[in-house]
Amino acid sequence: MHKLTDRWRSTTARLILIYGAFFALWGGVVIGVIHWQAASYLSHVTNDLIGRQASYFSMLDEPTLERGLHDYVSLETRRLNAFGLFDAAGKHLGGAVDALPAGVRVDGPVALLPHGLQRNDGRGNTSVRAAAVRLGDGHILLISHDTSIVDRIGTIILQALLWGLSLTVIPGLLGAWLLSRGPLRRVHAIRDATVPIMRGDLTRRLPLSRRGDELDMLAGIVNAMLDEIERLLGEVKGVCDNIAHDLRTPLTRLRARLYRLQQQFAEDGETGAMVAECTADTDALLVRFRALLRISELENQQRRACFGPIDLADVLREVHALYLPLAEDKQQQLELRLPEPLPGVHADRHLLLEAFSNLIGNAIKFTPAGGHVDIRARASVDGPWVDVSDSGPGIPPDQREAVTRRFYRAESCRSTPGSGLGLSIVSAIARLHGYTLEIADGERGARLSIHCRTVSS
Amino acid sequence: MSRILVIEDDDVTAREIAVVLGSHGFDAERVADGHEGLRRAADPGYDAITLDLMLPGMDGLAVVTQLRAGGVTTPVLMISALCDVDERVRGLRAGGDDYLTKPFAPDEMLARVEVLLRRHGQQRRQMLLCVSDLTLDLVRHVALRGEQQLSLLPTEFKLLEFLMRNAGQVLTRTMIFETVWGFHFDPGTNLIDVHIGRLRRKIDGEGQVPLIHTIRGSGYRLAQID
Repeated sequence: MHKLTDRWRSTTARLILIYGAFFALWGGVVIGVIHWQAASYLSHVTNDLIGRQASYFSMLDEPTLERGLHDYVSLETRRLNAFGLFDAAGKHLGGAVDALPAGVRVDGPVALLPHGLQRNDGRGNTSVRAAAVRLGDGHILLISHDTSIVDRIGTIILQALLWGLSLTVIPGLLGAWLLSRGPLRRVHAIRDATVPIMRGDLTRRLPLSRRGDELDMLAGIVNAMLDEIERLLGEVKGVCDNIAHDLRTPLTRLRARLYRLQQQFAEDGETGAMVAECTADTDALLVRFRALLRISELENQQRRACFGPIDLADVLREVHALYLPLAEDKQQQLELRLPEPLPGVHADRHLLLEAFSNLIGNAIKFTPAGGHVDIRARASVDGPWVDVSDSGPGIPPDQREAVTRRFYRAESCRSTPGSGLGLSIVSAIARLHGYTLEIADGERGARLSIHCRTVSS
Repeated sequence: MSRILVIEDDDVTAREIAVVLGSHGFDAERVADGHEGLRRAADPGYDAITLDLMLPGMDGLAVVTQLRAGGVTTPVLMISALCDVDERVRGLRAGGDDYLTKPFAPDEMLARVEVLLRRHGQQRRQMLLCVSDLTLDLVRHVALRGEQQLSLLPTEFKLLEFLMRNAGQVLTRTMIFETVWGFHFDPGTNLIDVHIGRLRRKIDGEGQVPLIHTIRGSGYRLAQID
């Protein structure tokens, strides 16, 4: 159903439909004009004929008129002609027409009587054209001609043209549907090709056909952009890797020399204390440096070797046990709620442990003493969710995206120790797995959830 | 005196490693490239080897692979610029005994070398560990301080085993986290301290000689200090 609406939404189908609508509208106008022209011509010819006949009869003397009227009726074998003869007061003297119809003026123009006129020969309910003339003796002669055929010809022309139009519109719609199939198939192919690119695989490109049409032009432009993005990212990454690599050795040297200094000075002396502080700072630097390297490594998306079927409940139980003492030390309640059964996931066990550790460690850190931290797993159609909710200050909506950025630390937690890299690592791990990290309001504080989406192979 | 072979191409790092090892009673010898390192490492006289994985000539992974193929069992601490877990797995599979990533703190390296030496020196895995009046019976799964039996959780038991097997040696938080929990990431918070704190409360009761000691800036050591 969805595909069908898609097809009608395509550009080709839309253009053909718009064109078809204009075509139908114009066809309607043409039909109208033809119908109107034909009908008025036929009407004019008939009126003219009746008018001439009436004036001819008015000029005849009585015996000739009688014969003429007899011929007028009898020679027309389909009995389409009729007449009525009336005296000056309108009293019927002869002929099939019984009474002078209201719409006919004596010596006036030919009148169209769509409902026919009163006849004494059992006919007369079809549309006629009639004219009345005053004869030399003061009598009135009315002649009428059945013109239902003329009117029917108009209807026939109209019907024929309408048929023609609808027979043009139906193949038009069918054509729109068929024509839109090809381009849509290619659009779907392009959409499928963008999925891995959006996931971060910049080596992929959009498919091109040999036709060189608009879609190919567009795909070509996007591919050129992707080339450029890949090149730039490669350059940036190269620079970062070089910096990282160049920093490793000096950092190792620095830490080693500080250690030697630390060995030489007693810690209670002023110099010794300063060296100890320097060492502690350097250690913090090393921790952040490693975390940064770790993120860039995760973002390289190379680590798929350790992926396998993982019991999510098991991983959560392990992390829960790891952090329980820490929470208890802060008089917090760290609760783990697992549904039975919880479906397994295809993941890297160590990375999942790291991601959940970071989430739970963060929650404990930002929740005041005596608070709650809940770890809850829930199953869904497209893979299980793991929610870590706390009773801390929460994360304001405008900062939710920023907290996964490297080194970002919310204004309210600048005094809390930490590197500001924890959620970046979680986010990188989630991306590597094709999972999503969602930050929302919990019942009491923040709720950070990982949706372990099942990726269909 | 234990002899340590340091295979490291950076002069300053190598010198600092040598100084640290030297100041802790080790005889450190330095080699700067892979081929020479492999040749010297084949000498059974060394007690341990620190091996940088990125070396000129021959990379460290090839060195350790060839050493093991040649039947040399000297414990090897691999030092790598790559902190990837895959890389670690590859290094350990090739025959390395432990893995440290650059940049590293020399005390961390020293602690790891000492644990390697200790582990290599033990012929059989001891099943009864004793430090002062603290006893850990791995067969019966019982821990005793003096006459009193300690009730330990499974993780606490593992933690105590690691501390006692390496009694007298400084163990860094990272080493504890890696060995006891098997995780290879930075736990960030004072997680290990809290776990040690719990164990300490169970082991070092009031009026007892404390056995678990905090080494500032480095880690922990379980020992009887007179």
